[in-house]
Amino acid sequence: MTRKSHRWLAVTGVALAASVALAGCVSTGSTSTAAVTKDAPGALVLQSRFTGAEKSGLEAVIKAFDKKGEGKVQLNSLPTTTFDTQLPSYLTSKNPPDVYTWYAGQATRDFADQGLLLNLSDVWKKSLTNYSSALKTLSSTTSGEQVFVPSDYYWWGVYYSKKEFKKLGITPPKTWNEFLADSAKVKAAGVTPITMGLSDNSWLAAAWFDYLDLRINGAKYHLDLLAGKHSYDSAPVRKVFAAMKQVLPDLSPSVLGTSYNQSISDLSTGKSAMYLAGAFIETAVPKSERSDLGFFQFPIIDSSVPVSEEAPTDGFMVSAKTTRPNLAKRFLEFAASAEGQSLLLNGEDGISLAVNPKATQTMDVLSNQGKKMLLDASQVTQFFNRDAGDAQQTPADTALTQFIAQPNDLDAILKAWQASAVKLRSGS
Amino acid sequence: MAGLSREVAVWFVTSVPTRLGRRRVSFPPPVVFALVLVPFAIEAVGVFWPAIQGVMLSFLNWNGIAPSKEVGLGNYVSLASDPIFITALKNTAIWIVLFGGLSFVGGLGVALLFQSGRRGVGIYRTALFLPIVFSLVVTALIWDTFFQPTGILNGLLNAVGLHSWTHVWLADPSTALYAIIVAALWREIGYVMVLFIAGLKALDPAIAEAARMDGCSRWQRFRYITFPQLRSVNLVILSVLVIDSLRSFDIVWAMTAGGPFNSTQLLSTYMYSTAFQGRQLGYASAIAVVIFVLAIGVIITYLVRALSEDKES
Repeated sequence: MTRKSHRWLAVTGVALAASVALAGCVSTGSTSTAAVTKDAPGALVLQSRFTGAEKSGLEAVIKAFDKKGEGKVQLNSLPTTTFDTQLPSYLTSKNPPDVYTWYAGQATRDFADQGLLLNLSDVWKKSLTNYSSALKTLSSTTSGEQVFVPSDYYWWGVYYSKKEFKKLGITPPKTWNEFLADSAKVKAAGVTPITMGLSDNSWLAAAWFDYLDLRINGAKYHLDLLAGKHSYDSAPVRKVFAAMKQVLPDLSPSVLGTSYNQSISDLSTGKSAMYLAGAFIETAVPKSERSDLGFFQFPIIDSSVPVSEEAPTDGFMVSAKTTRPNLAKRFLEFAASAEGQSLLLNGEDGISLAVNPKATQTMDVLSNQGKKMLLDASQVTQFFNRDAGDAQQTPADTALTQFIAQPNDLDAILKAWQASAVKLRSGS
Repeated sequence: MAGLSREVAVWFVTSVPTRLGRRRVSFPPPVVFALVLVPFAIEAVGVFWPAIQGVMLSFLNWNGIAPSKEVGLGNYVSLASDPIFITALKNTAIWIVLFGGLSFVGGLGVALLFQSGRRGVGIYRTALFLPIVFSLVVTALIWDTFFQPTGILNGLLNAVGLHSWTHVWLADPSTALYAIIVAALWREIGYVMVLFIAGLKALDPAIAEAARMDGCSRWQRFRYITFPQLRSVNLVILSVLVIDSLRSFDIVWAMTAGGPFNSTQLLSTYMYSTAFQGRQLGYASAIAVVIFVLAIGVIITYLVRALSEDKES
């Protein structure tokens, strides 16, 4: 080896050592919140996970806000899966987008607990005075600050085709036994009683878990369970799975391999009779067939358990590092006002409900029915991932889909579910 | 630029005699440093730094938003008892053996079949090579339709009366992984075929011809004449296949996303879902390190073999 290559080696070595030293500062989270009083110039960046019907509602709000001349808003719409994956990176980056669409509840609190969200208490105090106290609690951190401005909420129900129900001679059931009897009738007629699009949307199975747990063990137990205060490997949860086992024969045999689009098509062509789904399912059905679509409340199992419903609430949160906090707050005030709410909801194709009681919203039969059902509920919950925290959804999907395929492995399934839930909560 | 390269060229030319010892080595001009250090810096920032960070992350518990916690080798210890990791490791092994092995055998087979210049063979070659122009996600979409419960495959099986053979291919843990391997093979075999045809074309036909004259059978000619001559091509293809197997992600993610209930999880998909769905970045980094060690193991084995063969020859 010549001297020259020795020298090259030395240079390379120094450079390598420098990069190792630099790499030593792996940045793992930051909680710095610079106090900004004056907004940076430029448009407010609104990062949104809506690309379907909800997007047009949001665009209408932005258009009206832009016209007021208080500032511009730039909307970035991404598919939900991309948005959900990227959100932690956005919020921890140095120059994050300003405002985000997100889920109320634990899913928002997870970020607030790390100091990543802007305190919006003054927006609530100033403009959201006519919002319900339940919504305020839902938008608050454990220390009582509001970090979320709700925009709308929607209902879940068992959707069916009125035409098919008539043909099969059944009426919407009210109790679990009626539901099972109806399913048996549907099955005897050669139609699949229940469908779901689990191959690409396995999270839909969690709706069954949520509702069965709400109906059997009640909302308090359900929320405590999802918050990690009870074990999934326990007697009350086994009761939920025992009820689920009763409907397994009524599920489409290929339910795990059915895509969401296929499941909707099965429902609207009468191949399957019922579908436990959120209001969003309505936009997937062709407009011409929408009037044929009906839904009934998830059947009551134990009449001594107060009736609660799922009412996932969507809304906005703001990064703590925003350089345009004043503009962000003004925009949220507008979005939450009766005017903004009316624009948002009427653009959304009737699949959600306004949170502002003064908003004027054109309602159809289903949205009226959904609203009444939620108003009558003794308590509302969000949805599995919103109440438990978004990361908890994957182990739940695994447990529920495995149970559908291998119901006899319940012991192992629950043990694995509990272990994964604990591991995720330990913050690894 | 022309000026720069001339300067470098001049330096190389003028420094040649110095190597012969007439005078001491002159210090290379700054441009040489620039030409070496700039790419190195890009590499360091773009590759080495993130890689080192990845290794360091694997010793932490971090969900991406909360402050991280040092756990030492904790993540590696929990990997050993993580049933999903073990499934993923097993599936990756199955993937390497079936996807890698069948691509090799299939690619070699069709290359031998289609290496001749007979009329019409080009059509077959093109047909086999065509899938490579699709991205893996498109491939996944095509095969997804094929494997749907009411899809083409079940339709065909029903049409010929094999009702009991029908499956929910991608949702049945006993068939899902193999269904994806079939889709991946459809694309890979054409690629391997092209590599082999290139290798076969480089062989001297006179040797095979001489063997034929000496009365060797087809099999003997392949076994003792053709295959040994392909040794260096084989090595390249084997390492390409192992690396392709280890980095397989897109087709699995697009077809099953590791499901149903983790039965088609590969190391790569499990790493992704741990990092970005479970938000366990430290744990996911530990999985990434395992993949890296496996890949580097293969590459080093390959390099050592290749170098030792060079020496022999």
